[in-house]
Amino acid sequence: MKARWQLVLLPSLLLSMLLLAASQFAFLRGSFFKDLRLGRLGADLTIENYVRFFTDSLYLDSLLLTVRLSATVALLTLVIGYPVAYILARMRSRWSLVLLAAIIAASFITIVIKVLGLIIIFSSGGTLNRLLLASGLIAKPLTIMGQTSGVVVGLMHFTMGFAVLLLYGVVRTIPRSLEEAAEVHGAPRWRVFQRIIIPLSLPGIAVTFLIVFNLCMGAFTSAALIGGGKVFTLPVLIQQTVIMQTRYAMGATISVVLMVVTLLINALSVVLMARLDRRKTAVA
Amino acid sequence: MSARSPAVRLRRAAAATWVGLAFAFLFAPLVVVIGASLDGGERTFLNFPPQHPSLHWYTRISPDLFEALGISIVLGLTTAFIACLLGVPAALGLVRAQFRGKAIVAALFRAPLQIPAVVVGVSFLKLYYSIGGATDTYLGGTLAGLVIAHVFLATPYVIGTVSAVLQRFNLRLEEAALSLGATRWRTFRRVTLPVIMPGVYAGGMYAFLISFGDVPVSLFLGAGDMQPFAAKIFHLMEFDFDPTLLAISTLIIFGSLGAIYLLQRAVGLETLSRSGGGN
Repeated sequence: MKARWQLVLLPSLLLSMLLLAASQFAFLRGSFFKDLRLGRLGADLTIENYVRFFTDSLYLDSLLLTVRLSATVALLTLVIGYPVAYILARMRSRWSLVLLAAIIAASFITIVIKVLGLIIIFSSGGTLNRLLLASGLIAKPLTIMGQTSGVVVGLMHFTMGFAVLLLYGVVRTIPRSLEEAAEVHGAPRWRVFQRIIIPLSLPGIAVTFLIVFNLCMGAFTSAALIGGGKVFTLPVLIQQTVIMQTRYAMGATISVVLMVVTLLINALSVVLMARLDRRKTAVA
Repeated sequence: MSARSPAVRLRRAAAATWVGLAFAFLFAPLVVVIGASLDGGERTFLNFPPQHPSLHWYTRISPDLFEALGISIVLGLTTAFIACLLGVPAALGLVRAQFRGKAIVAALFRAPLQIPAVVVGVSFLKLYYSIGGATDTYLGGTLAGLVIAHVFLATPYVIGTVSAVLQRFNLRLEEAALSLGATRWRTFRRVTLPVIMPGVYAGGMYAFLISFGDVPVSLFLGAGDMQPFAAKIFHLMEFDFDPTLLAISTLIIFGSLGAIYLLQRAVGLETLSRSGGGN
């Protein structure tokens, strides 16, 4: 006698689908009506909002900025995070577990508090700037507030932990014996990286890039706080449009564009992930 | 192995420096918040390390902040409870049932993870607005409204952690119980549930932390008195900066670390790290 596990799942599925369908339907539909502000919508279906998005430079610039910013952050996060993940994965002492635990613990602390700390660190009279000024490395204080570069720093802080954890898993799937074999045969260290480690982690690196990219596309809190009303990524623009200007329909339209872009990228990362899994089972 | 050669030593030193700098980047903001909260002087938030050590700001934390914290805790616990009620059966079904279209069902359960949080905020605001227009019941700015949206955000995490535990579950245990004459329900309650409980705790904790740390959804759905903690801090940071923020943030940092420690004791590091971040 087989238990009917499908039935166990059914109530959750129905409720989850209800929430998903109801919320997504309500706002998708909203994006197709004329925006009369104050949350009111026109009576007729129209694609006016979408036409506006793709003809008004305000929205197009925001889309481009968000894509550029997310790509920059994803690239920098990988460049810094991959070596960290590699070192942790190959460490033979118990320290690697402790460091891993520290990353997990940090990732659980709410982002507002971390942004608060970043703002203090980069404040014009803060310790970092005093040290750098005194050492003559910089001529005027570094600042992150209201700067695109500041938002990059904030987003990197947000994504670094995730990236290291993901990449750690990737490196762990590459058998250490492959590296040792190459070394025994006299391959220098850089060649081991170039010919073995990098090629084998490439699918994982690509997936991590896409995941980090997507996290950044949708990131609101750090972009809004550090950007300080000067850096308008799509999520910040959505909040401004809906809450400050009460233009629900336009806000919904920007949201649809953001969601379509992220869904496309997610689809791509799922395809890549499937390839990675095939590799994993092939190795195992 | 030539563990002591200069090249290897140089490589080790470089590795340690790289990891050290990365961790400094990750932890400096937390250390700075804690440090600056202990400075009693004026313009506190610029003083790190503290020049006038004192707990002054801790005594000045406004009751508003504690109220917001209270809201967030109630909201987080309710969210975690409901997310587990939905997520545990879903995980059981996804791991154990064999049926056509299972991949699609799994993808549907994961759908909320694909939607940027700001978009979740906008869509639930719009949904509540429509419901309000039709039935005169406005969920915007109410605890119930926040709970529903947070359950939507958090349930996939519960499904993820519980599935991770279930996949390692030894079915023989259940078969043994059944063959010894235990009923299905009794087997579930006395055998299955205790084994998957660590996954449920971890999932519940995730759900709580997702809810607790959420800003965008709370900004759209909170209002007036019904403002969760993270959203409240967000507003305070945007408009008027107050050193007591550092004090309460420090309390939150230690509270979160304590919670993670307990969780890690309950479920182990492996489950914790595998169920997080990625999937």
